[in-house]
Amino acid sequence: MEGELWALGAESKIIRAVWQERPVAIKSRVVKPYLLADIDELLRRQRTARECKMLTYARSLGIPTPAVYFIDRRNNAIVMDFIEGEQLKEVAQHADIALLEQLCSKFGTMIGYLHRGKVVHGDPTTSNVIVDPMGKLWMVDFGLAEWNATVEMMGVDLHLVHRALETTHWDRQDTMLDAFLEGYSSVMGAAAAAVLSRMEEIRERGRYH
Amino acid sequence: MALISLGLEGTAHSFGAGIVTSNGEVLSNVWDMLLPKEGGIHPREASQHHAELGPDIISRAFDEAGISPNEIDIVAFSRGPGLGPCLRVTATMARAISLALKVPLVGVNHCVAHVEIGCFESGFDDPVTVYVSGGNTQIIAFAGGRFRTFGETLDIAIGNMLDTFGRIVGMRFPAGPIVERQAKEGSKYYPLPYSVKGMDLSYSGMLTAAKKLYDDGVPLEDICFSVQETAFGMLGEIAERAIAHTKKRELLLTGGVARNNRLTEILEGVAARHGAQFHRVSPPLAGDQGAMIAWTGLLQHQAGDHLEVSESYVLPKWRTDAQDIIWRS
Repeated sequence: MEGELWALGAESKIIRAVWQERPVAIKSRVVKPYLLADIDELLRRQRTARECKMLTYARSLGIPTPAVYFIDRRNNAIVMDFIEGEQLKEVAQHADIALLEQLCSKFGTMIGYLHRGKVVHGDPTTSNVIVDPMGKLWMVDFGLAEWNATVEMMGVDLHLVHRALETTHWDRQDTMLDAFLEGYSSVMGAAAAAVLSRMEEIRERGRYH
Repeated sequence: MALISLGLEGTAHSFGAGIVTSNGEVLSNVWDMLLPKEGGIHPREASQHHAELGPDIISRAFDEAGISPNEIDIVAFSRGPGLGPCLRVTATMARAISLALKVPLVGVNHCVAHVEIGCFESGFDDPVTVYVSGGNTQIIAFAGGRFRTFGETLDIAIGNMLDTFGRIVGMRFPAGPIVERQAKEGSKYYPLPYSVKGMDLSYSGMLTAAKKLYDDGVPLEDICFSVQETAFGMLGEIAERAIAHTKKRELLLTGGVARNNRLTEILEGVAARHGAQFHRVSPPLAGDQGAMIAWTGLLQHQAGDHLEVSESYVLPKWRTDAQDIIWRS
């Protein structure tokens, strides 16, 4: 299958191609020469397998994700639907405040659905949310996702959202976080409070006092 | 004419006094580290260490610089983050000097100072900084007027993890260099929990697992090898994520753990993959010392920042991203 290089990230490259007349994305995890080979191999295998299963599982929880067509375990590559659209990270640069609030609230509901299903995303940044031309949100990049999530794991997930907003969207972070948490809480209901207080606690860790 | 700055550092187990000029000369940089006979650092003992040795360290800094105290133009001190008792002792000395010599007082963020002294030495303008020490593990970069923490440990710092592991297996403090020597003899990799979450990471799980390997009788050199490969591999990965994310072209390694050669090699590999320049801050400027406080204090002072003595309370939890970096645009 041939295609054009569409994105080169820290851990993977994505090739855009056509398969059975569908636009697909071929995501392969590349070798990191600076890691010990044993670790590198294990991570690439584990994350490819995890992403593959999780894309499908997350959809069953109500989160739009690209459909997986097949997996090439030798090259640690996944062939999935190509989602046309723009990263939420980019949309957030130009969207007006009403649209931004609406998108972040939807982002919050998606993480809420995941957490309600005892799954954490593991890298819930605005780069991993795609806004398609119809305004629908899709979640991608599930390589660091985990099952059987505890309150601690969910707290970390929310902490990562907070961190992504403060480093990448510092000028609009308050609006975005409020809208995100509003969406999240609307799905999580009473269970949200414990996760939110854990998020605050996690933020204070890792620094000596 | 060049300004002369005295910087006092005392956030944790080290106390340092450094004298730096606005021309970028480090005239002196004297420090001493509390080395407990056993166990770790107790905040009160560390603050007593600073109180007892501080005045002499400051005098030595003046002697080595070959200047008299009334030649300084400003006095800067580490205002936070750090251990409360240590910060207060250090601040008290800085206030006394400010009042006695009638020179402006400048409060410096310890983490920001690590980045700025690294930029000073490397000539970097705008790096992604990997700051690794006994108490901190952070990936810092400048964005939107502030130094922001893109990633950090979710539990214990890398240096703390190495020291705690070392203590369990009978190494003296600080254990990092001993772990590094042992790791050179090891070659067999035993899997340890590799815990990267976004651009954050966690070390407590691998510490527990490494302890278990030791209890199971795995050769120490192989455990040290596995600990280093796992712990530094995780750091390499989050540093790479930060570079890919920010698209910055410089990677700076600083803090006490910057002395480690394997970590340096890994981060060189990360930089090479992204065509970024790499610099490891040299040992005299990488650990906690006064020159970094003096230099950052000068940058702040020249940008018009100073602190009234009456307002100069310490900030033990001062976040890296809580300060407007008025000297950078």
